[in-house]
Amino acid sequence: MNAAIVVFRKELVDGLRDRRSVLSALMFPLMFPLLITFMFNKIAERERDADDIVIPVVGAAHAPDMIDWFERRGYEVSVGPADAQAAVGDKAHDFVLVIPDDFAADFAEGRTADVELVYDGARKEASNAVGRVRSLVREYGRMVGNLRLIARGISPQLGNPVGIDDVDIASARQRSASWFSFIPMIIIMATFIGGMNVAIDATAGERERSSLEPLLVNPVPRRSLVLGKWLAASVFSGASVGLALAGLLVALSRVPLQQLGIDLEIGPREVAGLLLATLPLALFASGLQVMLATFARSYKEAQTYLSMLMLLPMVPHFIASMSSLGDAWWMLPIPALGQHLLLTDVLGGEAIDIGSILLVVLSSPLLGLLCVELTARLFERERIVFGR
Amino acid sequence: MIEVKGLTKCFGDITAVDGISFAAADGEVTGLLGPNGAGKTTTLRMLYGLMRPDAGSVRVDGIDAAADPQGAQSRMGVLPDSHGLYPRLTAREHIRYFGQLRGLIGTDLERRIDGLVQQLDMGGIIDRRAEGFSHGERMKVSLGRALVHEPRTVMLDEPTNGLDVQSTRAVRGLIRRMRADGRCVLFSSHIMQEVSALCDRIVIMAGGRVAAAGTPEQIKRQTGHENLEDAFVSLSGIDEVQV
Repeated sequence: MNAAIVVFRKELVDGLRDRRSVLSALMFPLMFPLLITFMFNKIAERERDADDIVIPVVGAAHAPDMIDWFERRGYEVSVGPADAQAAVGDKAHDFVLVIPDDFAADFAEGRTADVELVYDGARKEASNAVGRVRSLVREYGRMVGNLRLIARGISPQLGNPVGIDDVDIASARQRSASWFSFIPMIIIMATFIGGMNVAIDATAGERERSSLEPLLVNPVPRRSLVLGKWLAASVFSGASVGLALAGLLVALSRVPLQQLGIDLEIGPREVAGLLLATLPLALFASGLQVMLATFARSYKEAQTYLSMLMLLPMVPHFIASMSSLGDAWWMLPIPALGQHLLLTDVLGGEAIDIGSILLVVLSSPLLGLLCVELTARLFERERIVFGR
Repeated sequence: MIEVKGLTKCFGDITAVDGISFAAADGEVTGLLGPNGAGKTTTLRMLYGLMRPDAGSVRVDGIDAAADPQGAQSRMGVLPDSHGLYPRLTAREHIRYFGQLRGLIGTDLERRIDGLVQQLDMGGIIDRRAEGFSHGERMKVSLGRALVHEPRTVMLDEPTNGLDVQSTRAVRGLIRRMRADGRCVLFSSHIMQEVSALCDRIVIMAGGRVAAAGTPEQIKRQTGHENLEDAFVSLSGIDEVQV
C-alpha cells in the first residue's frame, strides 16, 4: 500500500477524533449562515420601519397645509415634545420636525421659510427615517414653489435649467453583487480555518509530542509522509468550504431578498462555479499551513504563525471595498486573490472565459504541491527533526 | 549485523562522536554503555539514518546507511530516543500504522500484532487510546510498533529507562527471545546492571570515543577490575568527575 495513503488515513482518523480540529472545521461554516440571516433580516426590518414612520412635529399649527400634505401622502403626524433636542438626546424620538413661530409669516410673504429637523447623526438606525422625512419636506417645498411660479405665469422649468437622467449600465444583478462582496472573503477564510488544526497537529504536533523521530525511522520517502498529511488537512479545509457554501445557500433562501430589491440568483451554475473557485484553494491553503507549521516547535507557536496567515485572504476584500482591484490576468493565479475575483464574477452573473477559470483552478494545487516538496526537504534537515 | 567505522559527528565546535568503530553481530546482544552525554544517542541516530555522519561509515547487513538510508532502515527496527505516541490512537492503531508504513497488510499484519500483544503482555491496553498510558505502557507500544515487521537488526535507545521491575523484565525477555531467533540487537544504556544482565558484548563510550569493547570477561581483564561496575567507572571517567 502506498505510504502516502497510509499517512492520509491515519491523519484523517486522528483529526476526526480531535474535538479541536472538528470544531474549527464546523464552527465557522455554521456561524456564517446565522450571521447572514441576522444581518439581512435586520436590514429588511429597517426598510419596513421606514415605510410607516410617525413624524413628531412641534408647532404643527404654523404649517397646517404642509401637515395636511404629509398625511395625504400616508404619513402619520404626532405632536412633538416641547424640548426637541433633549427628546432626541434621550432616544425618546429618532428625530423631531420643528416648525418655528415665524414659519407662517415667512411662508405667506414668499421668503424661504425654514423648518428644523432635529436628529442624532451618530445613530445609524435612524438614518433611513431621517432621510425619508428630509426628502418629504423638500418635495413639498418644490411642489409649492412650482405652483407659485405657475400662478405668476412662469414655467417651473425655468427654475430647473439642467436635469439629470441616470443611465446605470450595471445590471440589477451586478448592483446586487456589491451587497455580497463579503461572501468571497468568508468562503476563502473558511478554507484557511478548516484545515488549520490538522495541518498543525500533523507537523508541529508531531515535534511537540516527540512522535516525529519514530515516524521518520520508517523507510518511507519524506515526500510521501508530507503528501498524506497535506491531503488530510485539505480534506478538512474542503469540507469546511462545502459546509460554508451549503450554509450560505440555506441562509439566502430564508432571507427576504426581494423585499430589499436584491436580485441574486444562485442556481446549479453558480454552485458549480463557487465550488470550482474555492475547493482547489483548500490544497494551497493546507500546503502553505503544513509548510509554515513545520518551522514551529510547538502547537502554540504554529498557531501564532497560522493566525497571521489568516489575515492574508482578507486583503483582497479590503482593497476591493476601498478602491477597485482591477482584473489583470496575472492576478488570477495568485491564491485567494484569483478566487476573490472569480467568486465576485460568479455572484455577479458575468460570463467567465475558460482560460481565466483554468488559471484560478490550476494554480492552487500546483502551488500546494510546491509547498509539499519544500516541506519534504525541511524534514530532511536535522535542525527541523531534532531542533529544540 | 552492524559495522561502524570511524564514525564522527560535530555540532558546531563540539565533537559529539569522535571516530568510533565497533561491530554488532547477529545472534548477539550488544550493549552501548556510557554516562549521559557520552554520545550514545547521537551514535544511534547516525546508525538509523536520521543524522548524517561528518566522517566514517555505517553498514547494516552490508548496506551503507548514509548512501541508502531507506534500504538500511528497511532492515532494522528502531526504538529512538524520543518515542511519543498519538494520544487519540489506540495501541493497536499505533502498531498497525507503522506496520502499514512498512508495507504490511491484512491478516498477516493482524497476526503479527496479536503476537506482539502476547509477547509484550499488552492485552489489557491494546484497544485503549494512548492518552493516559503509564510510562511502561507507552514503552510497550513503542517497542511493538518498532518490531512489528520482525526486523533482523534491532536498535533500542535506553529501552528500560524509567520502567518498573515488571516492565523491565518483559523488555529483557523480549531482547533474549530476539537473540535466540538469531537477530542482531544493539541497545544503549547508562545503567551498568542493565548491560551486564543481558549483553554478550559491551561497547563502553565516554566523551564521544570508544573506551573499551569486548565481552564482559575481556573488559574485566583489560581494566584489571574484578567486577564490571568498577571497570565501567574507571573507563568512563566518572570517578574523575566526582573528584
